[in-house]
Amino acid sequence: MSQHVDLGTTFCGVSFDSPFVLAASPCTDDADMVTRAFQAGWAGAVLKTTSVEGTAVDLVYPMIVGLDHEGKRVFGLGNIDLISQHHIDEIEGRIRVLKKAFPQKVVIASMMAAIREDWKTVAERLSAAGVDLIECSFSCPQGTLGTRPGFMLGQDPKLVREVTAWVKEGAGETPVVIKITPQVADIVEVAQAVKDGGADGICASNTIPSLMGVDLETFVPYPRVDGKSTYSGLSGPAIKPITLRVIAEIARNVQIPITGTGGAADWQDAVEFMLVGARTVQFCTAPMHYGFRIIEDLTDGLERYLRDKGMRSPKELVGKSLAFITSHEGLSQAKKVVSRIRPELCIKDDLCYLACRDGGHQAIELDENRLPLLDEEKCVGCGLCLTVCPVSDCLYMEEVKPEQREDSQEGERS
Amino acid sequence: MGHVKDFREIEQTYLPHQALLEASRCLFCHDAPCSNACPAGIDVAGFIRRLKSGNRAGAAQLIFQANVLGDTCSRVCPVETLCQEACSHTELLEPIQIGRLQRYAWEKGHSHLDVAPALTKTREMKVAAVGAGPAGLAAAAELTRLGYKVEVFEATSRAGGVLATGIPAYRLPRSVVEGEVDLIRRLGVKISYNQGFDGQLNPDALRAKGFRAIFLGTGLGQSVRAQIPGEDLKGVFWAKELLWAIKEDPGSHKDLCAKLGRRVAVIGGGNVAIDTACSLLRLGADRVEMVCLEGPQEMPAFPSEVRFAWDDGVEFHTRSKPLRILGEGGRVVGMEGVGIRWKKPGLFVPDNAVVIEGTEFQLRVDSLVEAIGQRPDETVAKIYGLETSPAGLVIVDSETGQTSNPSVFAGGDVVNGGATVVQAVAEGKRAARGIHRYLQENR
Ligand SMILES: Cc1cc2nc3c(=O)[nH]c(=O)nc-3n(C[C@H](O)[C@H](O)[C@H](O)COP(=O)(O)OP(=O)(O)OC[C@H]3O[C@@H](n4cnc5c(N)ncnc54)[C@H](O)[C@@H]3O)c2cc1C
Ligand SMILES: Cc1cc2nc3c(=O)[nH]c(=O)nc-3n(C[C@H](O)[C@H](O)[C@H](O)COP(=O)(O)O)c2cc1C
Repeated sequence: MSQHVDLGTTFCGVSFDSPFVLAASPCTDDADMVTRAFQAGWAGAVLKTTSVEGTAVDLVYPMIVGLDHEGKRVFGLGNIDLISQHHIDEIEGRIRVLKKAFPQKVVIASMMAAIREDWKTVAERLSAAGVDLIECSFSCPQGTLGTRPGFMLGQDPKLVREVTAWVKEGAGETPVVIKITPQVADIVEVAQAVKDGGADGICASNTIPSLMGVDLETFVPYPRVDGKSTYSGLSGPAIKPITLRVIAEIARNVQIPITGTGGAADWQDAVEFMLVGARTVQFCTAPMHYGFRIIEDLTDGLERYLRDKGMRSPKELVGKSLAFITSHEGLSQAKKVVSRIRPELCIKDDLCYLACRDGGHQAIELDENRLPLLDEEKCVGCGLCLTVCPVSDCLYMEEVKPEQREDSQEGERS
Repeated sequence: MGHVKDFREIEQTYLPHQALLEASRCLFCHDAPCSNACPAGIDVAGFIRRLKSGNRAGAAQLIFQANVLGDTCSRVCPVETLCQEACSHTELLEPIQIGRLQRYAWEKGHSHLDVAPALTKTREMKVAAVGAGPAGLAAAAELTRLGYKVEVFEATSRAGGVLATGIPAYRLPRSVVEGEVDLIRRLGVKISYNQGFDGQLNPDALRAKGFRAIFLGTGLGQSVRAQIPGEDLKGVFWAKELLWAIKEDPGSHKDLCAKLGRRVAVIGGGNVAIDTACSLLRLGADRVEMVCLEGPQEMPAFPSEVRFAWDDGVEFHTRSKPLRILGEGGRVVGMEGVGIRWKKPGLFVPDNAVVIEGTEFQLRVDSLVEAIGQRPDETVAKIYGLETSPAGLVIVDSETGQTSNPSVFAGGDVVNGGATVVQAVAEGKRAARGIHRYLQENR
């Protein structure tokens, strides 16, 4: 209880009162909404991506599809939204209003353009309007804003470097962040291009191109827009592991400040993002599902976690887990682990037995009371049984010391 | 029907995966109906979200903020008529088990509470609370948080009111209340024990000691009597006193058991009667028979409690009126009752009961416990010169809890005639805010 925790952090030289930021999305496409979000406690907001004339924004509806999983809603969220329909003229005004009302909050503008001149002038105008950071979307996975349908700027490292430099020209003193796509063969190459182009930070990453499902009656995939469909951008909890890898890969290989986005739903997710290298964490699907009020648990949970860990600032978390990530060849084969069971917790669903029999190494037998018996000889320690067990801590992994192993073999033989 | 014969707590707490499964059913409704249905205003959706995100201490903090007796309430609240009745998930499947989740959140999170966060403002003014029951403790905690110096004066040697002296240990272990009282003390509330009205508690003495306002949360001290022949026989008990004696010493009740005998009748159909009957079975009685005016669906006891007593093995004589207690040699040997019907349907009060001739019955019992209600000790209202209802309840303003004496506020059973713990907490908080306003206006 004693030591004081300050949730404040910095990203690209800008101070945030906490690491929690609203991502460019419908949540931020309206000044009143952002006002309510700031009042609720969000540290910053990335206004929905703006542009100039010439960039057509032809929205279609419905544009949102949920990915449900076994009765749980919104395990993932697919959207065929495009960038904001609000023109830069309007966004400039919003930035001024918001900065005036909330000088301590971070207002980030997201932008995109089609030609060099526009990238530069939009950045110029945003900077002149007093925005704290400029985020460039190189990663709209849907829509046809580029020359090639479905192509994302972020998929071509050469273009990434080039366009980043254009934006930097226009942005002047205002830091520039490039929002990339995870949909590339080599994320490190792209991140390096972002850095080489002169960007101050990187936003990793974005939604993932997906086909959300197919209606079995009509054969039309989702979302169904007047009998047709197209690919969606997938966000939400389903993509968190992908985002974590992207952040970690960038953090391990390129020296550039990272803001994380893609699948964070609560403060624990945010801590994970930071542990693998993010300085701030952006949220979109979670507030779209449960509202701006989630900020209350985000800050409370993070503060208590840091206090528990004896830390004073979320900055201490950044990159802390990177030292534990290595290549597969870097992992030790020396230690043998096996599964163990706490029979008193077993509820006898026998899912571990099935999984091990049909997806493992037949190391689990059932006794006459349907209690699983683990065969330490056959168990390779893959971890499948505890992954499927519905009871927490009923199964667990334990290292077997070589001597101990011999002992038990002896014991069995005699 | 092998009923349990000890006073260990019956309901078990969740294991972590069970709590998570239950919490993940919560929809986190906007303007959540569960929170609105909680008299103490606990942010239920908020604490379940924190539980789900792994922020257990934060969950406990939200509970403690709204209700300093949140651990007790997680066990004794009639959730099926409050938060859980309001739960939106009922329309989907079944209500979230809010009471059990609250208990789990508290158990896992309370050791990391910020008990007394730094006050934004401290005030020199002193406020006295009379009675350390749920109402008095809640009022004192709220006033302390508002910056006042609060002293609670309790007549007995225990804090908690009915929680410490009434509700049996198998539903509410003593340690729960003791833990909460300890937190309330750490919050900054001073509690003085063995304080009666005779001496320093009279209003002039309190004023002379610098107390600027007084909160009364004295509850219902007097047992109502059935007023039937035979009440002076040996072997007639009153529930309040009996439950207190049982709660004081749940280990060995040798003397008590000897006085009670093997077969006991309990008169009454409320929660107190149920607690008495089930406690008697746990003390080792062979047969416990409840006699009440109401039918099974008409009893004032919570339905879950009636079911519990039924499962426990209590026998019911419903729609029955006790006529007299039978004695031999000055000791109870039985009782006589008769069946009734209601004159006006739907009105379950003694005056509305009509005896059905020819349905007289006799029970052979060794002792009899009356549990037909309690009323306030009227000296309380008299000493302070307070307006009361015909039933002797203190009349207060429904917004502020202020009595007819402007510097005296009241809440809990002494005002509402006997409701729930959480209602007493809510009324204590209400009065605290009323006192705050009063003292702001009358510096
Ligand atoms: C057996 C029983 C079971 C119950 N079960 C439940 C349940 O399961 N769930 C539920 O929600 N509610 C239950 N209730 C009701 C609940 O306990 C009460 O509504 C609640 O305790 C009322 O709180 P209170 O603070 O108003 O009064 P009390 O709890 O009665 O506390 C009053 C306090 O004031 C003290 N006091 C009285 N006079 C003076 C004085 N002159 N000077 C100083 N101190 C004084 C008393 O000693 C006592 O400590 C039950 C009640 C009983 C009797
Ligand atoms: C409906 C919708 C609209 C979005 N619009 C934009 C946008 O205009 N610009 C942008 O850079 N990202 C946009 N995003 C992507 C989000 O900013 C965010 O990066 C992504 O949803 C992943 O984060 P999440 O899992 O927290 O939702 C949008 C996402 C959704 C769901």
